[in-house]
Amino acid sequence: MQVTLQTIIGGVSLGAVYALVALGFSLVYRTMGLVNFAHGNVVTVGAYLASTFYLSTRLPFALAMIVAIGVTGLIGLVIERVLRPLENRDFDLMLIGTIGFGIVLDALIIMIWGATGRAVPSPVPSPPIDLFGLRIRTYDLVVLAIAAVATVLLVLFLSRTKQGAAMQAVAMDHEAATAVGIHVGRSNATAFMIGAGLAALAGGLVGPLLYVSPALGGALGIKGFAAAILGGFGSIPGAIVGGLAIGILDSFTAGHFQGYSELVTFLVFTVIIMIRPTGVFGERTVNRA
Amino acid sequence: MRYRIALIALAGVAAWFLPYGLDSYAIHVVNVILIFAILAVGLGLCMGVGGQVNLAQVAFFGVGAYATAILTTRGGLGFWVAALLAVLATVAIGLVVGTPALRVQSHYLGIVTLGLALAFTNWVTNAELSGGAEGIPGIPVPTLPGIDLSSEYLYYYLELIVFAVSLGFGLFVVRTGLGRRMRAMRDDALAASALGAEVPMLRMVAFLLASVYGGLGGVLYAGLIRYVAPESFGIANMFLLLGMVIIGGRQSLIGCVVGAVGLSLVRETLVDHPTVAQIGYGAVVVLVVVFAPTGLAGLPARVRASPARRRGRAGSAAQLQPFHPYEVDPAPAAGGEPVLEVDHVSKQFRGLKALDDVSLTVPEGEIRGIVGPNGSGKTTLFNVISGLYRPTRGRVRFRGRDLTGRAPYRLARAGMSRTFQNLRLFGDLTVEENLLVALDRSGTSQSWRYLLRPLSVLRRDRDLHRRARAVLERYGLAEFAALAPKALPYGIQRRVEIARAVAAEPSLLLLDEPAAGLNGEEVRQLGEIVRSIRDSGRTVIIIEHNMGLVMSLCERVTVLAGGRVIAEGTPAEVAVAPAVIEAYLGDSMNVDDLPVADSPVAPPVADSSVGGFPVGDLPEEAAK
Repeated sequence: MQVTLQTIIGGVSLGAVYALVALGFSLVYRTMGLVNFAHGNVVTVGAYLASTFYLSTRLPFALAMIVAIGVTGLIGLVIERVLRPLENRDFDLMLIGTIGFGIVLDALIIMIWGATGRAVPSPVPSPPIDLFGLRIRTYDLVVLAIAAVATVLLVLFLSRTKQGAAMQAVAMDHEAATAVGIHVGRSNATAFMIGAGLAALAGGLVGPLLYVSPALGGALGIKGFAAAILGGFGSIPGAIVGGLAIGILDSFTAGHFQGYSELVTFLVFTVIIMIRPTGVFGERTVNRA
Repeated sequence: MRYRIALIALAGVAAWFLPYGLDSYAIHVVNVILIFAILAVGLGLCMGVGGQVNLAQVAFFGVGAYATAILTTRGGLGFWVAALLAVLATVAIGLVVGTPALRVQSHYLGIVTLGLALAFTNWVTNAELSGGAEGIPGIPVPTLPGIDLSSEYLYYYLELIVFAVSLGFGLFVVRTGLGRRMRAMRDDALAASALGAEVPMLRMVAFLLASVYGGLGGVLYAGLIRYVAPESFGIANMFLLLGMVIIGGRQSLIGCVVGAVGLSLVRETLVDHPTVAQIGYGAVVVLVVVFAPTGLAGLPARVRASPARRRGRAGSAAQLQPFHPYEVDPAPAAGGEPVLEVDHVSKQFRGLKALDDVSLTVPEGEIRGIVGPNGSGKTTLFNVISGLYRPTRGRVRFRGRDLTGRAPYRLARAGMSRTFQNLRLFGDLTVEENLLVALDRSGTSQSWRYLLRPLSVLRRDRDLHRRARAVLERYGLAEFAALAPKALPYGIQRRVEIARAVAAEPSLLLLDEPAAGLNGEEVRQLGEIVRSIRDSGRTVIIIEHNMGLVMSLCERVTVLAGGRVIAEGTPAEVAVAPAVIEAYLGDSMNVDDLPVADSPVAPPVADSSVGGFPVGDLPEEAAK
């Protein structure tokens, strides 16, 4: 029991990070029906940017993170602008286009930061809290809090602001949205920018938890995607639940299957897609694309 | 044709003498390039021809290579036995990886196959059997009597033969029935299945082909390098392979080969700057998808098209020829057995009841009209009949057999064919190929013929081409045979779709608003065509808003409103039914739309909406 609870707690903070990655995927997907395959690479860029500013210029962690989010937001804008001619026309080509961007980003990361990784010290140095015999790292709580705040802000943006409402409209019917005067391209660009910002947030937060290396984003990207699918692609509560579920699953498989944990996670994920492609909260038909 | 044979011969001779000009390092590079070319052809068949996103091709490659390595070093088998088993193992894995394609497509399929590829790398880096991160060294040299395959120069010839055979086989598949059906499925899976293409099986065939090519590549790799390690089969190589296929042109196998050779050479020249090379090909992939989606293979056609467009076309434009009616089937047509019985069918979409207890019976040889205001459930009814939707309640019997909820392709093969309201022609196939897909009734399960009786496949295909030409002639479409349907005027596209539906030799033809968007003359021709189709012994059900056409063409009319049948009878009976008038009031019903007695063809009148005309006028006008 004690062990089980400790395993769950271990998975929750990574789960929150997966949830953030999943939110980025979902936001772009619900707005334009596209899975951004470069999303994982954007996470890596975010992780490197945040850690670089934090370690070398000695910016406070929060400020480093904000700079990282800004820069990746720009990357998101560039990706959307280049692929805009394909929007709502050929989804398979757009998918391959984002893979192309992923390839470029991957090479740029290696070129700028090198192929070896780096460890990032925790920005919250206080010792773990002991609660009924369970050890909880303080940084885990910080991660959870930031993820929660980001989610709330995103929901408020989508439901309370004009731009957010426009994005919802584009998600439902891009032609009708055009007809009432919404600039679909700009709305998609906003979605891409916010998605990339969320990726950077996830990357920045995960830095002190894992080892920052060029391969970081690949694993996080796929797991974030798995989380988004598990919860129901395009659904915000789904992304949160899916992220936490994958985080906990991860933590269990790491304990039980050691090296094979990735294999087990991917197999479970495939089986889930086969059984219920729309996920737990999903209502959309799968073949929107 | 002679030109092409000369070109192939030249390429063959050049390939044969290539090793004489290369040093030992260069021949090694060439050997690796050939392996990548085989892999790229496999990926092109799956993604470009079959439309199945496959990011696990590199894992198929890995399974082939690892299986060979494990079976020879650990299992002590000879190289060729191991090679055969390795290819079989890859096919088994390929079919497993392909199963998700039965449920999901596009992005989902991409991520699932990518996930499974990562799972494979994860397994080989950890498992003891596969030697962990160090991999497996010491794979024995493949032996051939009299030929020393440890020489890379001689190994080149082995690879060259495998490559030539696999490329030839791939091209053979693409250009005959199986490949045509796969391309049709890629362009429009729904329309393909409505024409009898077994979509689930074709998707598996796509993965089967990809895995065979992946397995072959893996075996050759194991024999060439004689050492396997996880990093050769990682994500980086998958994306490289994808880049080859996209840059070369995914829909053309030759393009895939060109992409593989080109990208490999570029990578080789930049071997000291791998990241620069990676940025380069990543950027090219992005540029290609945005500006030249057909890749290098599509460039010649684009270059040819652009000056022609600037100068304006020379010569005369292709002309639509008149329709030649079918021979009248002497068998008594009307009044026979019911072809279609729809029995208390309901269809519910969450809150919305699209069809509510609909029943109708259509006897053989009838032209049945289905009319009703927009949103009354006409197309939903067609979708239920043709198997695209499973009804919530009720049964559909076709020629006495209960076929409720069967897959569309089964219904198509049982003799049902349809057109679509919004035209679903296969965009990247020519007009003739569109017809060929419908004419070809051979099942995908007979694809073993491709291996064992290739000549019979070729003979069949020649026969199909002959029949397609006859159909083109009959429908006056001969001059459009080689054109893409997208390039044709709307009215001609409509005619192509009808020709395609009839080419499938259906006993029941479903036409969904065939007159939509046609001008008066085209509507008149349409009436003529539909009548001739019926006279050749087929039953026709037609959904139409053009009342003139319905009234003049149909023997009986069923009226739907709000998902229910509100009237059924001869056109004249239906036109005076109070329920019909009520349903149509304020809609597009117009006195002029109603038939004038004795006139065989009512003038096709454009829908002119007359709001709120006195109800009393209508029955009197119609009764005249």
